[in-house]
Amino acid sequence: MAESVQDNVERGDGDNVKTENFFTLKKWNAVAMWSWDVECDTCAICRVQVMDACLRCQAESKKDFYGKQDCVVVWGECNHSFHYCCMSLWVKQNNRCPLCQQEWSIQRMGK
Amino acid sequence: MITLRGKLKKDNDVSNSKSRDTNKRVSIRDKLLVREVQEMEQTLPSTCQIVFDDPNRLHEFTLVIVPDEGYWVGGRFHFGIYVTEDYNMAPPQVKCQTKLWHPNINEDGDVCLSLLRQSSIDGLGWAPTRKLKDVVWGVNSLFTDLLNFDDPLNREAAELFLVDKESFRHKVKEYVTQYAKR
Ligand SMILES: [Zn+2]
Ligand SMILES: [Zn+2]
Ligand SMILES: [Zn+2]
Repeated sequence: MAESVQDNVERGDGDNVKTENFFTLKKWNAVAMWSWDVECDTCAICRVQVMDACLRCQAESKKDFYGKQDCVVVWGECNHSFHYCCMSLWVKQNNRCPLCQQEWSIQRMGK
Repeated sequence: MITLRGKLKKDNDVSNSKSRDTNKRVSIRDKLLVREVQEMEQTLPSTCQIVFDDPNRLHEFTLVIVPDEGYWVGGRFHFGIYVTEDYNMAPPQVKCQTKLWHPNINEDGDVCLSLLRQSSIDGLGWAPTRKLKDVVWGVNSLFTDLLNFDDPLNREAAELFLVDKESFRHKVKEYVTQYAKR
């Protein structure tokens, strides 16, 4: 946010700043994308916030025998979100969202 | 459309460290239980008591139910609850240790309660969103709200109720007096 203000103040200062403006704008863009994920939902399976690593990954923090896989968030078509790790264990039992019982299909994954 | 199931198939082929995985799951269960046991005790219905034989084993305890209304009033019913290693992907195992005459509990102690069913398509079965306090609430309600004569485990009990409620009441009392006195 501070960067965008700077951007306004420095606008029109000549060619030198133009490059800087370009950079600042990029940064602002990044901030906007980040706000997508700010929903501080708790994963209803492991009860840890989805933006943090799941309970399982936290317990395994020092051993990564699954490879260096990030603990990502998965959103269903029903808009409910869980840790991918948690949900992947559950769909083996029952391919439904445990919160709304709809057939589970992934809308998007990310962090 | 990507389905998680399809992706999982691939993932499974890659990872095959089964035994280590089992060890991990134990600690996940115990981590969940630390919070759930506390919550369960804080929200315990007045008709229920929880008894831990070993306070270090949060996954194994006895639920004692003393109904204050309904057919089983006057009895004291013990349920052994065992939380398996794959909790909370799988429901706890519940066994009634007190002999009783009940349409949803047979004389071997098997309990028929939808939320304890591992796979169900109706949304009433087990889900990892459920907690121990829900299990306690469910078992406790078998003596009142969830008492169900339509899909009985003890068919004889359900049939007796349908044809002769007084005999049913009498038989329940008989069992209570014989097996479930405090
Ligand atoms: Zn989770
Ligand atoms: Zn994880
Ligand atoms: Zn859902």
